[in-house]
Amino acid sequence: MKPFNVKSKAPITVCLLLAVMTLTGCWDIRDINHRTLPVVLGISTVEDDQYKVFLKIPEPVEGSLEVKIVSGTGETISHAVDVISRNMETSVDLLHVKVIMIERKTAEKGMKDIIAGFMRSREVSPKALVTICDQNLDEFFSILSESKDLRGTNMFDYFEKNAGWNPEIALTRIWEVYRSIHSYTRDVAIPLIVTGETTTYEQVGSAVIKNGKMVEQISNDETLLFNAFNNEGTHGQIEVLNHASVMIIGNSMDHQTDLTDKQPILQSRINLKVVVLETRGKTSSDMIKKELSHLLTDRFSSMLAKLQESEADILGLGQLYRTKIDRKELKNWRSIYYPNLKSDIQFHIDVQNEGYLRTT
Amino acid sequence: MADKSLHVMLMYVISHLGLIFFMYPGNVISSTEQGHWLPVLVGVVIHFIFITIYMKGLSYFPKKDIIRIYAGIGKGTAIFFIAPVFLYFSMILLITLRAYAEIITIVFLSNTPLWAIMLLLISISTYIAAKGVETIFRTGLLLSLLFLPIIIFIFFTSFQNVDWRYMVPLDADLGFIIKRTYLESFFAFSGGFLFLGFVQPYFSYDRKYVLWAAAFLIPFFLFSVYIPVLTFGQATSATTFLPYVVAVDAININWLMFDRVTMFFLLSLISFIMLYLALVSWKAIRILSHYLPSIKPVKLLLALSAAVYISCFFIPDWKDVEKLFWWNTFLRFYILIAVPFSIFFFGRRMKRKGKDETI
Repeated sequence: MKPFNVKSKAPITVCLLLAVMTLTGCWDIRDINHRTLPVVLGISTVEDDQYKVFLKIPEPVEGSLEVKIVSGTGETISHAVDVISRNMETSVDLLHVKVIMIERKTAEKGMKDIIAGFMRSREVSPKALVTICDQNLDEFFSILSESKDLRGTNMFDYFEKNAGWNPEIALTRIWEVYRSIHSYTRDVAIPLIVTGETTTYEQVGSAVIKNGKMVEQISNDETLLFNAFNNEGTHGQIEVLNHASVMIIGNSMDHQTDLTDKQPILQSRINLKVVVLETRGKTSSDMIKKELSHLLTDRFSSMLAKLQESEADILGLGQLYRTKIDRKELKNWRSIYYPNLKSDIQFHIDVQNEGYLRTT
Repeated sequence: MADKSLHVMLMYVISHLGLIFFMYPGNVISSTEQGHWLPVLVGVVIHFIFITIYMKGLSYFPKKDIIRIYAGIGKGTAIFFIAPVFLYFSMILLITLRAYAEIITIVFLSNTPLWAIMLLLISISTYIAAKGVETIFRTGLLLSLLFLPIIIFIFFTSFQNVDWRYMVPLDADLGFIIKRTYLESFFAFSGGFLFLGFVQPYFSYDRKYVLWAAAFLIPFFLFSVYIPVLTFGQATSATTFLPYVVAVDAININWLMFDRVTMFFLLSLISFIMLYLALVSWKAIRILSHYLPSIKPVKLLLALSAAVYISCFFIPDWKDVEKLFWWNTFLRFYILIAVPFSIFFFGRRMKRKGKDETI
């Protein structure tokens, strides 16, 4: 064996030592027990354009998770978080925030800066869900902190697709809101939440966001159509008709678009597969089909009329006209074309099965 | 001279992958408002033309690297071609080190000072470069076994949020050709290919495989640009600094135990970048030690790395990185055009004369 030659190995040894120093990847490291990882971040504005930030923090207490709610005020959101962090014994780390909750009046004033701030700083994942609170946030969080069945992640579970989500809840993430701020042809809907009577939360509808501002509100039923248009899946939705209730188990759609003299004409056909659940009195499947398609057509046209008036294209109909409109003109989609859009929507309904019992 | 086509191919792929996903999409997206396929296509075609010419030219000089080819032709040619190449390599080292350290701090290590990240990057790549070309290529094989699957997996999952309707309007104009950002985007094409001319005395490779590797990269070039556009739309993705990284950040996979796949994606790419830096330093040292044969290559390498590391501190902020990047663009085009053509030209001339040059 060759004797170890210090001189020839020196550069490598130095390199490796330097690597060891930096390879640990730890800089100003804070251990996990010195961090606070909030799951929900609530934002409201108070006077003087200051932000009031609420954090909902799960805390493990004797084998179970309890929840702590803290709040702070600051010029910016990060400042407010800093204020909270300063007053707490651990440091606040927004890395695991799952839900961003914005107070309604803040959303109506515009949340462009808030969303852009989240996108820029990367502290909060762009995948975090956005909701709007149709209630004073102080009130919302004080009711929440008194609630008994409040667990660490239950607000996230409410939206989680494999937990409490259902097709009447819009699932909108930070990056989608950010996209809608700059996009020419696409807006978003954000769920509106209040505290419930017997359940922890209650959804009262969805907020329509245009350029980062809440401009309109749609109902839960209409949110279903929004989800159907965004292929979010309407599986499991129960529709109550006069004579029956059905469950939608599948949806698909195709559109025909036409543009004459700056007037977009849209012909859509939505195919629904349904299962009959309950009936009342004498019903036939033709009757169910007719009633359902009537109900949905009415609902769709009234929603579209409302949206056209507010010039917010949450269904992304502008996307369908991208081939037909020049890019320079596309910028005016919301203001010139969209309000004139004429739509003819047809629901084609297949009754997949009627359960164990026959309907005549 | 062993045939190492597989190693060359993998090295070619991973050094380009490291360059594609960061600044390239942003540059192309801001160069034009619609029809991004054309700028990508133009870049790819130019890339193919030049590597074909370059490899054809190199095939006239078996067992010789480009330093000896130029040195064999005359002193003037050496100054005319090798000096810019060396300058270019040093610039690449400087810019890549500085820019990627900055990207790492932006994306995840926000508390870590730049000097520590740069030290990590440069020390590891210097160490690999010191071990020589064999080690670089073997490390390339290891890294591609470890990280290529991850990159490809994330590449495919990044289609999750795309809306294909953002693809239109498809028609494009050629206005992007003179845009500064477009010209800058060529770093992704011209950064990696020169090494083909440096490995020749060590081992040979089949030209066909390099072309296959370049063809394999085409979808990555195309979709690194199109995934952000299809996810966010042009207007939104033009507001982001690293569009592809932001698009990857929006991936949501329930069953994956990791919340942010971006981390894995970036770390894999950073390892490719380290290897790329090692390769570039090794090439620069080959040039230096050809002209300074009395000094040991390792010492030259340490001196070069130290010089690069120290120079990085003279770049105060991102604006200056961009300025350097832009200045380097002229040099880059000179290299991209002059080196392949001159090698091809000298090769043809030598063949016509039919004499075997002696060095």
